Amino acid sequence: MAIPIESSPPPGWEREGIDGLLGLFAPGRLSEIVGPRSSGASSLLLALIARITTSGSSGGSREGGRQVAFVDGTDALDPTSIAAAGADLSALLWVRCGGRLRVALSAADLLARCPGFALVVLDLDDLGPVPASASIRLQRAVEGSDTILIVRSERHREGSPASLVLATRRLAPQWIGLRQLTRLAGLRSEVSISRSRLHSLSPLGRGQGEGTWTLDWTLQQ
Amino acid sequence: MTRIACLLLTNGPVAPGALLQVALAHSPRVEEADTGCVYLDASGLQGLFGDEPRLAERLRDAAAAGGLAIRVGVAASRPGALAAARLGSGVTVVEPGGDTAALAAAPLSLLALSEDLATRLARWGLRTLGELAALPTAGLFERAGAEGVRAQRMARGEDPRPLASWRPEPAFEESVECEWGLETLEPVVERLGELAARVCGRLGARGLAADGFEWVCRLAAGGAHAGALTPAVPLTEPAAVTGLLRLAVDARPPRGVVLGLTLRARPVRMAPVQESLTDPSRPSPRFLAATMNRLVALVGSDRIGAPALLDSHRPDAVGLGTYSSSPLRGEGRVRGETVRGEAVRGETVRGGVARGDANPVLALRRLRPPAPAAVTLASGRPVAVRSSRLAGRIVAGVGPWRSSGEWWTPHPWLQDEWDVELADGTLCRLAHDGSVWHLAGIYD
Repeated sequence: MAIPIESSPPPGWEREGIDGLLGLFAPGRLSEIVGPRSSGASSLLLALIARITTSGSSGGSREGGRQVAFVDGTDALDPTSIAAAGADLSALLWVRCGGRLRVALSAADLLARCPGFALVVLDLDDLGPVPASASIRLQRAVEGSDTILIVRSERHREGSPASLVLATRRLAPQWIGLRQLTRLAGLRSEVSISRSRLHSLSPLGRGQGEGTWTLDWTLQQ
Repeated sequence: MTRIACLLLTNGPVAPGALLQVALAHSPRVEEADTGCVYLDASGLQGLFGDEPRLAERLRDAAAAGGLAIRVGVAASRPGALAAARLGSGVTVVEPGGDTAALAAAPLSLLALSEDLATRLARWGLRTLGELAALPTAGLFERAGAEGVRAQRMARGEDPRPLASWRPEPAFEESVECEWGLETLEPVVERLGELAARVCGRLGARGLAADGFEWVCRLAAGGAHAGALTPAVPLTEPAAVTGLLRLAVDARPPRGVVLGLTLRARPVRMAPVQESLTDPSRPSPRFLAATMNRLVALVGSDRIGAPALLDSHRPDAVGLGTYSSSPLRGEGRVRGETVRGEAVRGETVRGGVARGDANPVLALRRLRPPAPAAVTLASGRPVAVRSSRLAGRIVAGVGPWRSSGEWWTPHPWLQDEWDVELADGTLCRLAHDGSVWHLAGIYD
């Protein structure tokens, strides 16, 4: 249902909160982001990619951030959105798989075994979830490396070896306009930890509530 | 005593190197200054070609025989020879010690001055090299620095720099003939590996790397089987090159018995980079090259790369440039095109948000190609949508956001976009191109 609001997009971007959330993803582990359509899962991925590709650019590094590989199962990545999120596009390797699940899994496996990528994203959307055998293979591919491997799909499969599973949930879209809507301003969504095997490493519960974050994503026109 | 001859082309564009060949036929020391201008060392050629006027005539005749119309100037310095060629008619020889006088009437533009210095001299009212040569050197140094003094020395016909001798570009190519013919793939790859080791050794000896390899297999049945590969990063390691060649030949094996192999490398000079201890780690060029080639075999070369925004307002105007993990990636080449900021696949790149300024942006998931949709309208506004990806009643929506462009090209576009919320909460973007509706993307 539409929730009309006043002229400016609502606040709610808690930098500490999102930093804490993004800090949950551990290198050398398989993580998952699951959520239905319009739940903010892709926005969360974009925020993470932007943070990683630009990390170090303000810390004395000459050439900016780390390298990210994006295995796009359904050719859905919108470079305009990711540029608007602040990511360095030249540090991003985009592999378009054209809706072929096996190809996407093979590409992610290859990239997870190539040392040097800080983050490898396997975006399957409704192609997923990943078959159990492939999940185990991916987990082993990234084990012991400095690479964060994230699988984004609509559903989570029981028995997955993922160390961290974040679930996203749509709360409400944000519209501008009182009597008549004039513009879509963004989306409010909730991110919660469905499962984590890294309690001792991650500051669970930091931010709002027990491992739950409420985030406002704004639409860049 | 140094004597320089300048060969200045006066007719239109000619085959590259034609003028150079004329000069090289008369002197071993030749400098290619610019397109259509070549200097040669004319010292000590009297025994071969006679005195300088004869040499100049001979040069002009040799060029004319090759279809080139040139003017020839001979002097003790390059500026003197150039002025003689440019201001003279046909063949002009400046006697030793006469360079200053020969240059006096030449315009300042004869010298390749920096924009700053040229502007400054123009403000002083100087027009000719003679006026520049007449200035007091100390005062010129105080006002225009060393560059000004250098220009004045050139204007006086003093040219301390020796000729930069032209050398042919080395060809990094190796071949092998197979006496018995190779019927299977493994020995072909083995021979290619040997050729790669030799080519890489020669590249390494010159401090070069290769950003492209081509090979040709001569077949027993006649004809040839050729292939090429472009590694993700320039390579000099034989093992890495051999691995890539193996993958490439596996993907497109020669059909028939191979009698001979040739491997050719495209050399590039790699700027030495001192890695920083504080810089983030990057994929190793060797691993990355191997991974990229496997990925290309998996998804195709047109489906992998670094995303780039094209300079167009057309919806989903994005391209793919060559991905490179090198810290100098901004100075490299993108699939034979100019790099980011200039052009990717022939189109310019649009600027994005400043890097490092991370925003909580709502992502749009594109549907490629856009899914055709059946949209029900009420009072001109969409109230329901049905497509292969989703269907439902629309509970809120805004639009149309109208855009159009490239009407001056054969492929104009026009689009009305609506942001809508379905009853199940899905946020999506609908597009209408004037005739049909599409589901352009889903917000997520």
